[in-house]
Amino acid sequence: MLFFSYFKDLVGREVTVELKNDLAIRGTLHSVDQYLNIKLENTRVVDQDKYPHMLSVRNCFIRGSVVRYVQLPPDGVDVDLLHDATRREARGG
Amino acid sequence: MVPGLRQFTDRTGEVAGVPVLDTDNGEEMKYVQPGVAIVIANRSPESPGTLYISSRKVVWLSDVDRQKGYAVDFLALSLHAVSRDPESFPSPCIYTQIETEADDDESDKSDSECQETLDLSKVTEMRLVPSDPNQLDTLFQIFCECAELNPEPIEEDEGFGGGNWVFSADQLADNGSDVEAPEWFSPNPTSSIGHSNGDHDIARTVLELQINDQRFEDAEEMERENENSPHN
Repeated sequence: MLFFSYFKDLVGREVTVELKNDLAIRGTLHSVDQYLNIKLENTRVVDQDKYPHMLSVRNCFIRGSVVRYVQLPPDGVDVDLLHDATRREARGG
Repeated sequence: MVPGLRQFTDRTGEVAGVPVLDTDNGEEMKYVQPGVAIVIANRSPESPGTLYISSRKVVWLSDVDRQKGYAVDFLALSLHAVSRDPESFPSPCIYTQIETEADDDESDKSDSECQETLDLSKVTEMRLVPSDPNQLDTLFQIFCECAELNPEPIEEDEGFGGGNWVFSADQLADNGSDVEAPEWFSPNPTSSIGHSNGDHDIARTVLELQINDQRFEDAEEMERENENSPHN
């Protein structure tokens, strides 16, 4: 639940979602749900030569289980806050 | 691992019929869209057909050939999107990517160009082309809703020393208060290590933690305890 809350906080920011099949999609985070399914808007594919057919896609839904990494905007990462939150989570709230 | 795209011929009813769903196990029809063509991988479009979206899978059935139909579970749909750029595909469509067991296998690329021997289970792309592009946004929305109905099944793998070291969904749900708002954002000061709000003697709090808290016990001791009297 921690990361669900964390990603909800990033809605409206630019992120890059890297899939397990190596496709990386950059876009504005539109929404995220408890399974970490991710909806992006104004997307563009990072490696356009390799995935030319994805060029046209403006919004997309990505299944949480196929996400390998989410690259965050540097100023969206508050290390101290995350430290605190992860400690709390590890203690069971 | 769920299978990818597959043949689907299980129909019931007159004329073209409708797909048979696993209603005994709670599967229900969510949306039906007539007048949809299907494009599998880079094959030519197949039509006319009807798109059926159930709570569990996407089914496309040919309107003219009862033996022709395809299905894919939402569990295998890794991505779906609305594609409107005529340069990438001539007609606006729902573009989907399908997770396959052979994802890393580059050698199947050549196979999929050969229409005769196309192995459906290796297909990684599917396009659904409604005759009326105005339906795309609704379809996209239905896809989103149904995808959310199909979370990853929780793996009940107890084979790792018997320890339940991955949080199961209901354990997580116990922390009900954390679900709604990002409460972690403003941690409760009284429960934070090293925090004192004035009412608490911080030394005592730390002492209590040391004495009472199992988490500070030696890991090996815990393991032995678990063997003798499993309490979790």
